[in-house]
Amino acid sequence: MSGSKSDILWSPHHPDRYVICDSELGLYRIGPAGCAELKAGTVPLSGETAATLLAINSDTPYMKCVAWYPKQEPECLLAVGQANGRVVLTSLGQSHNSACKELVGKEFVPKHARQCNTLAWNPVDSNLLAAGLDKHRADFSVLIWDISSKFSPEASVSAEKIRLSSSDLDPSLVVTKPLYDLGQNDACLSLCWLLRDPKLLLAGMHRNLAVFDLRNTSQKTFVNTKAIQGVTVDPHFPDRVASFFEGQVAIWDLRKFEKPVLTLTEQPKPLTKVAWCPTRTGLLATLTRDSNIIRLYDMQHTPTPIGDETEPTIIERSVQPCDGLIGTFAWHPSRQNRMVVVSATNRAMTDFTVFERISLAWSATTSLMWACGRHLYECAEDGPEGAQGLLEQDIATKMRQRAQSRYGHDTVQVWRNHLLAGGNDSQLKSLWFDLFYMKQCAEDAELKLQGNKQAIVYSGIKNIVKTSSGTTESRKCWSGSERQTEATRFHSEERGLALRLCGWMGRASDVDVEPFLRSLEQEREWERAAAVALFNLDIRRAIQILNRGAMAEKGDLNLNVVAMALSGYTDEKASLWREMCSSLRLQLNNPYLCVMFAFLTSEPGAYDGVLYESSVAVRDRVAFASMFLNDAQLPRYVDKLTNEMKEAGNLEGILLTGLTKDGVDLMESYVDRTGDVQTASFCMLKGSPGEVLKDPRVQCWIENYRNLLDAWRFWHKRAEFDIHRGKLDPTSKPLAQVFVSCNFCGKSISYSCAAMPHQGRGFSQYGVSGSPTKSKVTSCPGCRKPLPRCALCLMNMGTPVSSCAGTGKSDDKVDLTRENKLAQFNNWFTWCHNCRHGGHAGHMLSWFRDHTECPVSACTCRCMQLDTTGNLEPLDSS
Amino acid sequence: MELHILEHSLKVASIEKEGIQICTHGLIKLAFLASKTRYVHSSPSRRQTCTLALDFKELPESEHISVAEATWLALNVVSGGGNASNSQPIGVTKIAKSVIAPLADHNISVFMLSTYQTDFILVRERDLPMVMHTLSSEFTLLRVVNGETVAAHHLGVTNGFVKPKLAPRPIIHPLSSPSNMFCVTSLDPDTLPSVATLLMDVMFYSGGSKESGAGGEDTSHIRFFSFSLIEGYISLVMDEQTTQRFPNNVLFTSASGELWKMVRIGGQPLGFDECGIVAQISEPLATADIPAYYISTFKFDHALVPEENIQSVIGALRSESNLA
Repeated sequence: MSGSKSDILWSPHHPDRYVICDSELGLYRIGPAGCAELKAGTVPLSGETAATLLAINSDTPYMKCVAWYPKQEPECLLAVGQANGRVVLTSLGQSHNSACKELVGKEFVPKHARQCNTLAWNPVDSNLLAAGLDKHRADFSVLIWDISSKFSPEASVSAEKIRLSSSDLDPSLVVTKPLYDLGQNDACLSLCWLLRDPKLLLAGMHRNLAVFDLRNTSQKTFVNTKAIQGVTVDPHFPDRVASFFEGQVAIWDLRKFEKPVLTLTEQPKPLTKVAWCPTRTGLLATLTRDSNIIRLYDMQHTPTPIGDETEPTIIERSVQPCDGLIGTFAWHPSRQNRMVVVSATNRAMTDFTVFERISLAWSATTSLMWACGRHLYECAEDGPEGAQGLLEQDIATKMRQRAQSRYGHDTVQVWRNHLLAGGNDSQLKSLWFDLFYMKQCAEDAELKLQGNKQAIVYSGIKNIVKTSSGTTESRKCWSGSERQTEATRFHSEERGLALRLCGWMGRASDVDVEPFLRSLEQEREWERAAAVALFNLDIRRAIQILNRGAMAEKGDLNLNVVAMALSGYTDEKASLWREMCSSLRLQLNNPYLCVMFAFLTSEPGAYDGVLYESSVAVRDRVAFASMFLNDAQLPRYVDKLTNEMKEAGNLEGILLTGLTKDGVDLMESYVDRTGDVQTASFCMLKGSPGEVLKDPRVQCWIENYRNLLDAWRFWHKRAEFDIHRGKLDPTSKPLAQVFVSCNFCGKSISYSCAAMPHQGRGFSQYGVSGSPTKSKVTSCPGCRKPLPRCALCLMNMGTPVSSCAGTGKSDDKVDLTRENKLAQFNNWFTWCHNCRHGGHAGHMLSWFRDHTECPVSACTCRCMQLDTTGNLEPLDSS
Repeated sequence: MELHILEHSLKVASIEKEGIQICTHGLIKLAFLASKTRYVHSSPSRRQTCTLALDFKELPESEHISVAEATWLALNVVSGGGNASNSQPIGVTKIAKSVIAPLADHNISVFMLSTYQTDFILVRERDLPMVMHTLSSEFTLLRVVNGETVAAHHLGVTNGFVKPKLAPRPIIHPLSSPSNMFCVTSLDPDTLPSVATLLMDVMFYSGGSKESGAGGEDTSHIRFFSFSLIEGYISLVMDEQTTQRFPNNVLFTSASGELWKMVRIGGQPLGFDECGIVAQISEPLATADIPAYYISTFKFDHALVPEENIQSVIGALRSESNLA
């Protein structure tokens, strides 16, 4: 054997057998490597598989190419092309049984000897074997042999003056007359039968690719090219063919055979093998000489929305199946993406599976999909019920649900927004109550307070207490007893405002805490109510509340015990009660019960046990502080607490910072921690439209939230948000950006009306807004020339759309406003920016529901497809 | 029919026997190590070695080497239509009427080179416009540029519409036919290394030993050996005895095992300017439907015809010859 490259062939019918041919033919069977002891002739291929050598055939010298008989019977029949052009049929691992006995050993001899380059069995008519030979001046290079033909000596001898040398084999096995001979005076380097028709043969000739048709052998289709080696048909696209020359692969489409559809990037070294993956569409593997990688080209057609031109997109990557240089490889005929690789140097084999690229896609919502091979995996976030609700939901999911439940849009009962948010986030609850109380105070303040007092409501308790002046002290008695308390309570206007912002007091005049207590009782916050009552120096009320709590349904009976302990209160400094309470209170689980005893047992003016009990809500601690801390202590405490809140990004701190720059700082750290731009946007919009909204951070949150809504395709929610934002921040309203201008005078038809409101018609008359029934104006207000006509109804624009079927019948006036709005939109001007045809928006929409091309006859513009977002559906209900 | 104009520029040179030793290195490089786009053709016969080489720089300058000044281009006829009806006659005969005769009519000198695989017609580069004009009516002219085949643009040269003179062409040079028979064959380029020493021996050395005593065998026995490596294809012409020296199965022998007889044209070196010599020989053969190979060398031309046809060939050519 003279320097021929090795090759590898999978059995067409046994998925576990393959043949390696270099100087001889070796038949291997592939199996699991699990067997304990390796039998002789077994070589490991990979971690899981091993190959067993079944048979060796070295009968045929000078092998140049091999092809495996494609039919089931006789199995393992191989055609071998030799260096002198002869094609010999041989078999492997078969006891010479009857099935192929008459075929094995048969030789097909060309008239003039030269190298046989390639062999190809016809996949349908399996008697036909095509052989491609080198050039001879007068002979044919593509010979198609019929393996079933019988030798007819007399005819051949007379015609061809055969002088067979004595060394030849049994003459009955030698065939010299091919069924077809094609390609005179040319060389054939590669061959393959086309899957389109079994009578068509594609051949890579000396300088061209030719398609021969056996039904008419005098004709051939051909194209001049250098890329004539290794022609191979894509098993998934019968019209797609690959061939190569040196380092370059050309992909051809037989329907448009004039030039390659595409050529792949050239490799520095010449290619040795190019093969389509039989189990995966559009995957081409290529191997170059002296290389340790196999290069894969993934060719997929991706439809582009614009135009009909589709270019196959190619993704190139390489795999390295084994360490050494690769001699050759072969795809497994049926196992997905599997191949066997033979090393160039030592015939070492590797069983290798090419892993698919993993493509991954996020949905507009939180679910994630990825595809690997033929598997598609979806990964969705577990709902609250899934995974026992242990995992907190992702903030994106939360925001999405909240957006759907119109979170942030309740502008009257502001506190209700926390319920819209799900009602289980204490920080949000506190935030929305803060905002609610601020709003309440602000509205109240408008009536009562003068001047700039309103602004101070939104500037937070931190600023309020700083301005505190005229503080009065009072020592009240425990209500219901004559005993004076030791605690000094401070009063001032600002402290009163702070208490109101904390929610403890209702109205400015009203200093009674009773309504607040009642509401707490209603919400079954017994401990908190008791604490609030106690801080208001009503120990009896506190005990009452605890009793009620103990007796209530599912109440905690321990509250009775606490009530008993409370009732034993004594202001005796050295009493046992004091001593025990101050130590045992720390063992109470409920922080409010704990702070109650802390308050009772602490020295006047030193309420650290209450103030620094972090489990107690900030509002309660601040309310407590504004009652019992003096003017020196209070700002210090509030400052300290504010910084703490800012650092932690705790929304409860908004009470202290208000909607000021401090508040933005706090919100910043909250957003940094949670990513909740939704809450941040809504919260900051409530602030005074001054500095806070101008803060770039706030603008950034708002823009991000809008983008988020867009990304979720919550376009209606986005619009609602923009409206909401426009109300609170009028500067954010965008100016009109699109105008309809008249074709004749070039003036904007809406602008001219808006500019001259008194000169007759209002804007409403153009059907852009206002009642459709009144709209009659169909000419430009500037020059009185008619407006263009709708391509569908052929009426001039400005004519209202006659109510379409759905709206016309609606007698019930349930949703009249919305209907009206839709009708108005139907009257809008719409036109395609490409072909400039258009008409009423309603007409256009209904047209493109069923059509792809422009309604104007002879216009082939695919208007709607040009709009990439035009085909997307919003995901939120309007 | 397509006529391919190949992209190589060739020179024709001759090396005297005495000069071979200084050129051996270059010749071996050309002959055996040549990359596939080179044309190498060497026909050592009797006293000189004829060499055509693209990469002529390989050879040293020497008084033993004579180089014809013209640069030659190779033409190759390809039956692009895939006309498979008739395989005979082959070789020069096939193109005699379509190419060689028209060229001869237009006084264009050609240098023929038949190989195992195909026939090359060499024309001088300066004659190319005329060649294209002459042949454009019958052939699709294609030019090979950087390996890609492209349609050759017609140069629009008409040479003043010289009417071809359709005079009969008598054979004017003496013919001789040796008694030994020749074999036209090829071998697998992969096996070249294994027979390289043998080939070198045949080409450069073995002839010398017999040379001295072989003065009188001119007419009965011609020593002729031709080796060509063209675009990766090897073609060999050698006499029957030489084939015995090659190992079994290396040479491509045709199924019919055909052998060829030689007709040598010319008593004096023919030179390169005279035209119509190939036509003189090939036309009678084409008329008689006899296949032939035709190999031009620096001094003489050689035609190879099937052994069984030699008598009819001699007869046909004698009748044409004005010296007969």
